[in-house]
Amino acid sequence: MAVATNFPLLILLILLVSSFMMPIIKRVWAVKWLSLFSILLCLVLSVLTLEQVAQAGTFVYKVGHFEAPWGNEIKIGYLESIMSIMFTSIAALIIWASFYSVDHEIKEKNIGLYYTLCGVLLASLLGIVYSNDIFNCYVFIEISSIAASGIVVVKDKKENIKAALKYLILSCLGSGLVLMGIAFLYSITGNLNIDYIHQELVKVNGLYHNTFIITLGLFTVGLGVKSAMFPLHIWLPDAHTYAPSSSSAMLSALVLKAYIILYIKIIYRLFGIGLVSSLPVLNVVMVLGAVGMLAGSIMAILQKDLKRMIAYSSVAQIGYIFFGIGLGNVLGLIAAIFHIISHALTKSALFLVAGNIIHETHSREISSFKGIGIEMPITMGIYTACSLSMVGIPLFIGFNSKWNFALAIIDSNKILFIAVLVASSVLNAVYYLPIIVNGFFGEENVKDKVFSSKEKPVSVLLPELILAFSILYFGISSKGIIALITKSVSGL
Amino acid sequence: MERLITNYYETVSIILFGIGFMTLLIHNNLIKKIIGMNIMDTSIFLFFTAKGYISGKKAPIIKGVYKGVNGYINPVPTALMLTGIVVAVSVTAFALALTIKIYEKYGTIELDEILKKGGD
Repeated sequence: MAVATNFPLLILLILLVSSFMMPIIKRVWAVKWLSLFSILLCLVLSVLTLEQVAQAGTFVYKVGHFEAPWGNEIKIGYLESIMSIMFTSIAALIIWASFYSVDHEIKEKNIGLYYTLCGVLLASLLGIVYSNDIFNCYVFIEISSIAASGIVVVKDKKENIKAALKYLILSCLGSGLVLMGIAFLYSITGNLNIDYIHQELVKVNGLYHNTFIITLGLFTVGLGVKSAMFPLHIWLPDAHTYAPSSSSAMLSALVLKAYIILYIKIIYRLFGIGLVSSLPVLNVVMVLGAVGMLAGSIMAILQKDLKRMIAYSSVAQIGYIFFGIGLGNVLGLIAAIFHIISHALTKSALFLVAGNIIHETHSREISSFKGIGIEMPITMGIYTACSLSMVGIPLFIGFNSKWNFALAIIDSNKILFIAVLVASSVLNAVYYLPIIVNGFFGEENVKDKVFSSKEKPVSVLLPELILAFSILYFGISSKGIIALITKSVSGL
Repeated sequence: MERLITNYYETVSIILFGIGFMTLLIHNNLIKKIIGMNIMDTSIFLFFTAKGYISGKKAPIIKGVYKGVNGYINPVPTALMLTGIVVAVSVTAFALALTIKIYEKYGTIELDEILKKGGD
């Protein structure tokens, strides 16, 4: 189906056009359904795009029919189409879940703008994933940082404004560094198209050793700030904690991931892994990832606020992903991409559930959640599934990604890091499990608690339930998805 | 040293980048932070446009006679930086709007005082 090659651009257009229609629509329900409907349409188009890639292989779409070095290109392989399906499906579920939570978290006059920002954010993230032009990626990065700050500040409380400004300033710092990296690349190669830059870089390899290190360092730090790599994560806890729960889910599950996909593209497609492995940058990324795995978990243990705890857990999980990329072998990359998907599923469900819990109990303190499993059995059931997945219990998707990380570590002969992986899993258990244990068990905890008294109706919990079931489903049968990721990695 | 003087565009832009970066990181005042952000962006624009400039060549606007490819500078970096300027302006506008909101809610734009008032 040759028409499917148009779909990636169409997805961006549908999202942008529909989101800019939202501010002029007066009725809130119409805005909500327009948002959900447009994202679902994009999901269908993404699936058709994957179908096209499976039939005819990687394809290039020339925007405006200008030939490559002059015009912009969209390049879609397995990686892009899988990520596109993941982004749209999880965004659809988050938007669906936000139907029920957004009314009591955001003022009514801002709801239309909120969905506009969500649409623009999703479009810019997909743009980062699709585009084969590095400057185009920069423009999409800037759009996404404004939109992402927007969905943090939309609640209009004073903590939100503080968190959003912190996020905005740090992400501008990050994108400034990325732009400087692009300037270096342009001055060496004279191109902005990723494939052409790669060809030129291979030609001048050896001449510009230091420039390569500086350029890759600029990209690493720049994208590291934006995707909350460990020592650069300082904006993340505030932004995730104070944002509305659907925004937190979107930030953690999708926004951070798009920059990591761009980083993978920069390493594997722009520089090429052969060139990158001659530079010391990947080792630094690996060590930072490993430190992040431990430090993020330790900081999460110290938190008293539920959402802040989950936010610090994100720092640890991003550490896993960067660790996998930093290993520099194929298995490590497969594990990292699989963990991108598994973390997106788990963390979006966790943030949405946390939003429900906070709304029903009117408290954010972890110590106040005693006996909550009796009062909100389904919500806490979903929370339990996600936590067990985060800890890495078999049957849940988190186990599969940890298993893949272990295989990648063994493959790269860095056995010491198995200890880091295990230690990080144990630390995960230390902060996720007490809430479950105090929620369901303990004589004095469950005393006087009425069964299901604070539970929301199942229809409200349906998006979270779908996420929880997919965590279980992909945990049991991850073979198909791993095969797809293997194909996508070999196509890079 | 001689290389620094020959490539004075690049040298100046890297120095500006450093100034902007440190202003962004060190200063407590939010307005100064935003100014630092702008200096940083401007230095990148200078660096980028310097890459497209070829000494002695004209701007690529054809009036009357076409002088051939070698008669003009490279217009691509200039065009890119126009996009960059637009992006920087919109980010600055958003950051300033947030700063006004911060001032309304906290009564100060000094970051350390805001952090003290914020509780955590």
